[in-house]
Amino acid sequence: MKVDKTLIASVALHVLVIGWGLISFSTRSLEAPPQESMPVDIISADQLSKITAGIKTGEKDKPKPLVEKVADAKPAEDAVGKITEKKEIVTASAPEPPPKPVEKPVEKKPDPPKPVAESKPKDEPKPIEKKPDPPKIDPIAEALKSEETKKPVPKPEAKAAPPQPPKPKQERTFDQSKIAALLDKRDPTRQSITGAALNSSASLGTTHGNAVTLSQSELDAMRARLASLWNVQPGVDHPEELFVTVRIRLNPDRRLAAPPEVVSSGSSPRYQAAADAAVRAVLQGQPYTMLRQETYDQWKYMDIDFDPKQMFHS
Amino acid sequence: MPVTSFRLPPLLLTRRDALIGGAGAAAGLLLSSRVGAQTKLQITEGNFAPLPIAIPNFVAGSPADAEVSVGVAQVITNNLKRSGLFAPIDQSAYIEKITNIDLPPQFQSWKTINAQALVTGRMTRQSDGRLKADFRLWDVASAQQLTGLSYSTSPEYWRRIAHIISDQIYERLTGEKGYFDSRVVFVDETGAAERRVKRLAMMDQDGANVRYLTRGADLVLTPRFSPSTQEITYMEFGQGDPRVYLLNIETGQREIVGNFPGMSFSPRFSPDGQRVIMSLQQGGNSNLFVMDLRSKSTTRLTDTPAIDTSPSYSPDGARICFESDRGGKPQIYVMPATGGPAQRISFGKDSDSGGSYSTPVWSPRGDYIAFTKQGGGQFSIGIMKPDGSGERILTSGFHNEGPTFAPNGRVLMFFRDPGGNSGPSLFTVDISGRNEQKVPTPGFASDPAWSPLLS
Repeated sequence: MKVDKTLIASVALHVLVIGWGLISFSTRSLEAPPQESMPVDIISADQLSKITAGIKTGEKDKPKPLVEKVADAKPAEDAVGKITEKKEIVTASAPEPPPKPVEKPVEKKPDPPKPVAESKPKDEPKPIEKKPDPPKIDPIAEALKSEETKKPVPKPEAKAAPPQPPKPKQERTFDQSKIAALLDKRDPTRQSITGAALNSSASLGTTHGNAVTLSQSELDAMRARLASLWNVQPGVDHPEELFVTVRIRLNPDRRLAAPPEVVSSGSSPRYQAAADAAVRAVLQGQPYTMLRQETYDQWKYMDIDFDPKQMFHS
Repeated sequence: MPVTSFRLPPLLLTRRDALIGGAGAAAGLLLSSRVGAQTKLQITEGNFAPLPIAIPNFVAGSPADAEVSVGVAQVITNNLKRSGLFAPIDQSAYIEKITNIDLPPQFQSWKTINAQALVTGRMTRQSDGRLKADFRLWDVASAQQLTGLSYSTSPEYWRRIAHIISDQIYERLTGEKGYFDSRVVFVDETGAAERRVKRLAMMDQDGANVRYLTRGADLVLTPRFSPSTQEITYMEFGQGDPRVYLLNIETGQREIVGNFPGMSFSPRFSPDGQRVIMSLQQGGNSNLFVMDLRSKSTTRLTDTPAIDTSPSYSPDGARICFESDRGGKPQIYVMPATGGPAQRISFGKDSDSGGSYSTPVWSPRGDYIAFTKQGGGQFSIGIMKPDGSGERILTSGFHNEGPTFAPNGRVLMFFRDPGGNSGPSLFTVDISGRNEQKVPTPGFASDPAWSPLLS
């Protein structure tokens, strides 16, 4: 039998090509490498430009970006936030704002309950009177006060050195940053380059122009800590009404800078109890040691939602 | 000096922003930057752990009050512990000794032993011999007083003061009404199984202060409290047919409710206390009737060739749930309080192997109907919503029966009979199915009914 050689060659070639394709394509794993999840914030172009903006005239070998001012000031809308913020915007030489004057617990006695000699005919004890609340003692302010004394003095170099201007060049050079400065008529304080710590020497900026972000693991650890401390009552009616949001302000030492503020609203006694439970968890959880110092900007202000709804779905 | 082109974009952006200028844009920037800086954290999982609370002995105003000062703290501790929502810390762990409740406690020392709430109090004898109790409830973490109240009463009622304080603590910390200042009426059972003596008895909800209301000559069943807590209606097998009685707790006076031919049974008060609803036997059937206690007029609510019994009003008095075998097996039905069409709400998952429902009782909170469910050789206590949905079995076993709600609708009491030569005992369980507790009684006990709050 006569066989066409070209046919054989053609068949062989096809088999080869198809076979190779089958093997190579089928064995090629298409799985994507697992990506670490991360919280995403939408920021404005303006913010992007401020994130570790380098200065072109900076020295190449400077590892840290220029920081003229301790990052702060940005988050502020409500009046309360603004006030507290003002205290925080300090040049590093200024001491921490003194805590609010608090009456020492021992010095002030609450009014003793007034004796009531009320005779009742029956065996019905009745609430006779409500006593005035004793003075409120703010343990956090107390703690702050004591902490203030041992607080390390801010780094001397930061307070002494005013922001160093980039090294003047003798020869006339085209300096883009100066054009930018001329064009930019905005409030100069908002132009300060922000960071976690003051650094007066300019650099070219880091290769990755990212500010340090809160990692998912930090948030997870904080979430786990709060979940372990959050007491929820079993068998409550309408748990969806017990959604509580607590706003906190943290100090760099990872403790609360002020008592937690409940920013959600509700008026029922059940809601009040739920809000108390949430605040208790937040107070107990400090210090939040899982938060990294570098990300302080992002955990300085936090809104924590306590939502018991899912716990009652079973 | 390296000036690279990639540095340009930020500058361009800056310039553009600068040119935009304007107050509106500035406001927008401010807003966006605030949102960006405020980190949000969602906590959706907490735990159902009881709240650690410290209850040191109350401060005694004089040495004579020392005993009652310790007693009040013990009653409060016991109440809160039994509720399952609190974990009282053992007194031996306390660091600070409270000697004056008008000074703020040293919160750090209570924090150290992990107390989240602290109760301080004082018992003093007044010049007229009455007992006065002052107490303060403190939040340890925030170092704030949550409640401070003062009560007085004659000395023999010191336990009620302790119960009222317990209710205040419970209410402030859970946001729900308490149930400690309440009583339970039940059927006390003594003697051998074949010659059981059944007496009507009443006690505080914690088992203290047991009082017997009948002598035990006649069999009594299904006692129920009036909303005023001053009267009890129950069924007694007298000389003739079993009848529904009304008993005044203070005076001991009793009277028959209505004079009907045949047996009357399964009584219960309406929420306003003006009427008693019950079953009347008519031949082989029984129907529901309601009797106005003042005018003595009687109204028929059902008319079926079936056994309709165990009626219970909704807290607003608008509807009635009851048990009927009109569909074959006993099931739970709901109808308007004035009678009319009844809607079956209990269905059970396996209608073949049982699933009959009885002794429905409407929660004072209105959200659930508790019942006894029989099926598969077991008696269970469960709850369901008034529309029949959300059925949840709280406890199952050889014999569990007769649920009754605590005044706040959070806890059920029922009786359990292990069978054999033993007898029934009372138990409580949370409506979440947690925290089952035996209630101390002097002997065997069945058919409990929880009173409303006494004050």
